Amino acid sequence: MSDDLTISRQKALKALAEHLDGRLLSNLNSCVHCGLCGESCQYYLTTRDPRFIPGRKVDLISGLYKRYHTVTGRLIPRLVGARDLDDETVREMVDVLFGACTMCGRCTAHCSIGIDIPFLVRTARTLLSEMDLVPKGLRSTVDAAIQSGNNMAIPHNEFVDTILWLEEDLKMEVNDESATIPLDQPGKRIMYTLNPREPKFFPLSISVMAKVFYAAGEDWTLSSNMYDVTNYAFYTGEDRLAAELTKRLVTEMQALGSTMLVLAECGHGSRSIRWEGPEWIERPYPFEVKTAVELLADYIRSGRIRVDPSKNKLPVTLHDPCNLVRLGGVIEEQRYILSHTVSNFIEMTPNRTNNYCCGGGGGQLSMSEYNDRRLTIGKLKADQIQRTGAKIVATPCHNCIDQIMGLNQHYGLGVEVKTLGEIVADALVL
Amino acid sequence: MSVFHWIFLIGFTTCFIACLYHFIHTLFLTMPRQYAKARGKVLPAVVYSFTKAMSPSRKESAYLHLPTYFSGLAYHLGTFMSFFLVFLFFFNYHPSWPWSAIFSGILAISALAGLSILIKRILKKDLRQLSNPDDYISNLLVTLLQGFVAFTLLKHSLVPALLVYASAVMLYIPVGKLKHVVYFFSSRIYLAVFFGRRGVWPVKEDKP
Repeated sequence: MSDDLTISRQKALKALAEHLDGRLLSNLNSCVHCGLCGESCQYYLTTRDPRFIPGRKVDLISGLYKRYHTVTGRLIPRLVGARDLDDETVREMVDVLFGACTMCGRCTAHCSIGIDIPFLVRTARTLLSEMDLVPKGLRSTVDAAIQSGNNMAIPHNEFVDTILWLEEDLKMEVNDESATIPLDQPGKRIMYTLNPREPKFFPLSISVMAKVFYAAGEDWTLSSNMYDVTNYAFYTGEDRLAAELTKRLVTEMQALGSTMLVLAECGHGSRSIRWEGPEWIERPYPFEVKTAVELLADYIRSGRIRVDPSKNKLPVTLHDPCNLVRLGGVIEEQRYILSHTVSNFIEMTPNRTNNYCCGGGGGQLSMSEYNDRRLTIGKLKADQIQRTGAKIVATPCHNCIDQIMGLNQHYGLGVEVKTLGEIVADALVL
Repeated sequence: MSVFHWIFLIGFTTCFIACLYHFIHTLFLTMPRQYAKARGKVLPAVVYSFTKAMSPSRKESAYLHLPTYFSGLAYHLGTFMSFFLVFLFFFNYHPSWPWSAIFSGILAISALAGLSILIKRILKKDLRQLSNPDDYISNLLVTLLQGFVAFTLLKHSLVPALLVYASAVMLYIPVGKLKHVVYFFSSRIYLAVFFGRRGVWPVKEDKP
């Protein structure tokens, strides 16, 4: 390591060295620079900026690996595209790897080699985090979650008041004084999580799930201490903080004694908790984990709730959140739900594991620095929605909902955007 | 064995040991442990990863770029065929007529495919910006190897020179991007583990 490297850059390179396991080595050494991935990336497709070709993003981190970990890169860096961790590289890394990648994984699915590009992008973000170069908005989102227990820093009493108010609403709506939204109740089968966006801005989505749980006669509770399904440390690449947030959920589950953790409709939250969490804390969960989408499908399939599709007459299309679908494996359940709860379901093209990201993933909605870029690349999604002719866009992800609502306004789509919980609640036969 | 055979043997042994080390090291010695409860199976995903996931029915990099896809396919088949034939030459076996002419023709086509990929890299601005000298060198080395083997099939006296050249190519494999001959496999296996455990691969839907 050369002497002129600053301490933070040395920390970044140390982090790279520490992360060099078989998976990372494999992905760092595989790119053949065919450039075909560009046509699968919405940043490149909408801007034609060559810096946004996923292969170039791979180069930003593989160049560092080559420079500091390979003989050829040390001796003849120019030959193999090895790069110093200098100001120019750091600037480009921040702009491209934070500001021009949603980590949607579409490039990976279509890569001629099969390189896990979002994995490399996240590793590069780890390096940037070590250099304290996480964009401000994303940084404060993670910090809020660590300090307050939820990413919107909602005070405890405010959250409790919101739930009590929603409970009163529920009683009126179902005309049953015994209807409840259980809070901090031990021994319940399910502990249900929330995206803090729900109590803060969209309490309706809590009400609708409470209504579904009521209809299903579910044994459930919310936690007022740890209800946040999100984990934005996944996007900053900070494994230590991601593990801390995961541990808090596990601790709360164990404190309440629930046997199933149900994850609210949140793409990256579902992925973080379901798939990454056990890796971060380095042990399997002692309880079952299910997404709200799977649970809703189970309710309909088992007849635990009755639904009437004629209650949702307007044409509905479905946006597949990348982290839940392509990178999480929940692919058909949402289709099963819609096929039983709406009269006219229209698929987007392409869909399922081949779907385009809404443009809000990768922490983009937290990084206001890149707002214009985010809306520009959302054009692909806006066009997809428009082509369906649907009046309602359903998507099981609050992050996607925010982005699609933004696209709705920006591109004048004239659609309504709903969670699957809302769609199911609208179709409920009580 | 002639000195040319020894040179080839040194190149081959070095390349083989280096590649084997890379493969074992990346796939077996440092495989990260997985704690999340699997939703799907890995083995069918590995099979899918090397078959349908690579096909034009699934992969955009194939079906949106069919000429490049088929050029790449021909080029890689030609590369494996070239090394196979070099080994035959090493063991003093020379395909007889008309096989030598047929193989030579096939390799001429694959070398042209390699050349077309090289020309594309030179002509397309975005691709040029993505490339480093290693990309051009690797492409050129392998294209020339295929051409060399094609000529040697028709003119047996070129075998000693071919053995030396093939040795040089093999010495370059672990150094530059040609080592993707190893990492291609490990990357696709890792990807299959990732998507397989999550129940994403094999993809079940009919349409991409």
